[in-house]
Amino acid sequence: MIDTLMLIDDENLFHLVFEDACSLLDIALSIEALDSSDEADKKFKDWFPNDPNHERPECVFVDLNIIGSSYDGIEMIRKINTEYGNGCVIGIISSSQDEVEINKAKEVGAQFWIIKSDDIEPRLEEFKNDYDGYKNKTAPFKIYK
Amino acid sequence: MIEVTGHTRNVLLDVAKKKRIYVEGNFLKLLRPVKDDKEFEEYLKVCKEKDRTSRKKRLEVTKQVQSQNKELELAAEENIRINKQLSKALDETQIAMEDARVAEKEAMIAKAEAEKLRDDAMEDLDTLQKRTQFELIGKIVRVALIIIMGVGLITTVLFGYTLMTGQENPILESTWSNLFGILLTNSFSIIGTIMGVKYATEGKGN
Repeated sequence: MIDTLMLIDDENLFHLVFEDACSLLDIALSIEALDSSDEADKKFKDWFPNDPNHERPECVFVDLNIIGSSYDGIEMIRKINTEYGNGCVIGIISSSQDEVEINKAKEVGAQFWIIKSDDIEPRLEEFKNDYDGYKNKTAPFKIYK
Repeated sequence: MIEVTGHTRNVLLDVAKKKRIYVEGNFLKLLRPVKDDKEFEEYLKVCKEKDRTSRKKRLEVTKQVQSQNKELELAAEENIRINKQLSKALDETQIAMEDARVAEKEAMIAKAEAEKLRDDAMEDLDTLQKRTQFELIGKIVRVALIIIMGVGLITTVLFGYTLMTGQENPILESTWSNLFGILLTNSFSIIGTIMGVKYATEGKGN
């Protein structure tokens, strides 16, 4: 089970759906849901290079288009991977299936792309099964449709 | 994992029994009973089941709200689209009305111009008719004068010739005097008529 998971998504209702789904599927013990990439950026900045209280999440799910934020999901992943020391499992969770965006996410180091829909649980369960591969960087980039 | 022992365990069981309050949330996943503590093991099972049920219920409701929100958002977008179409149609109607007003104004101007042209044409036609009539009258007068003068001249020459040669002819004399008298009277009558017509025509304008 993932100890700490961070969700960056502008849709507050999805925070509730995600938290409940993760709890029911025993995916994560603690979930921190943020509604802007600026807030996440600030936190990662604080945790880099040292994270004395071990607050840095083990896994990060970022929405592609975060309304009201300075960066979109792809830029957020790029920043975490290149400016804030990488070290966490990271990917996109979005309703978009745009091939161009998916390739961009892959290029900046996203490890997965989960397509948001009303029935998110089967995809999260599949992700849970693949998680160890993402953690030890052996699993290839995957799209959960 | 946190092993729950002694006092904490008893308090949790007591609160559950008396007040039906159970531990809930992800913290439950960290709790573990002491080995062979079947009662607390059962308690944790109940807690997890309750937590699971309430989460499932909440997830269902949240999803429902989420889908209703999406429908509302779509409806709002559709409303905005329809409003845009309506205002565009209204703008187009106003533009069309304005065009129609301009066209009506232009048509009225064109009508006035056409009427003016028609009046001018009629006036020209009238003038042309009058001129033609006047020319015809002129020709008639000229021909009549030539005939009068011609007849008068011939009769005078004939009469003069008879006088000069001494072949007096009473018929010719009376003829000459009658003819001269008639021609003179008629020529004055014609001239009078012409003058009258000319005067009447001039009185009506050009």
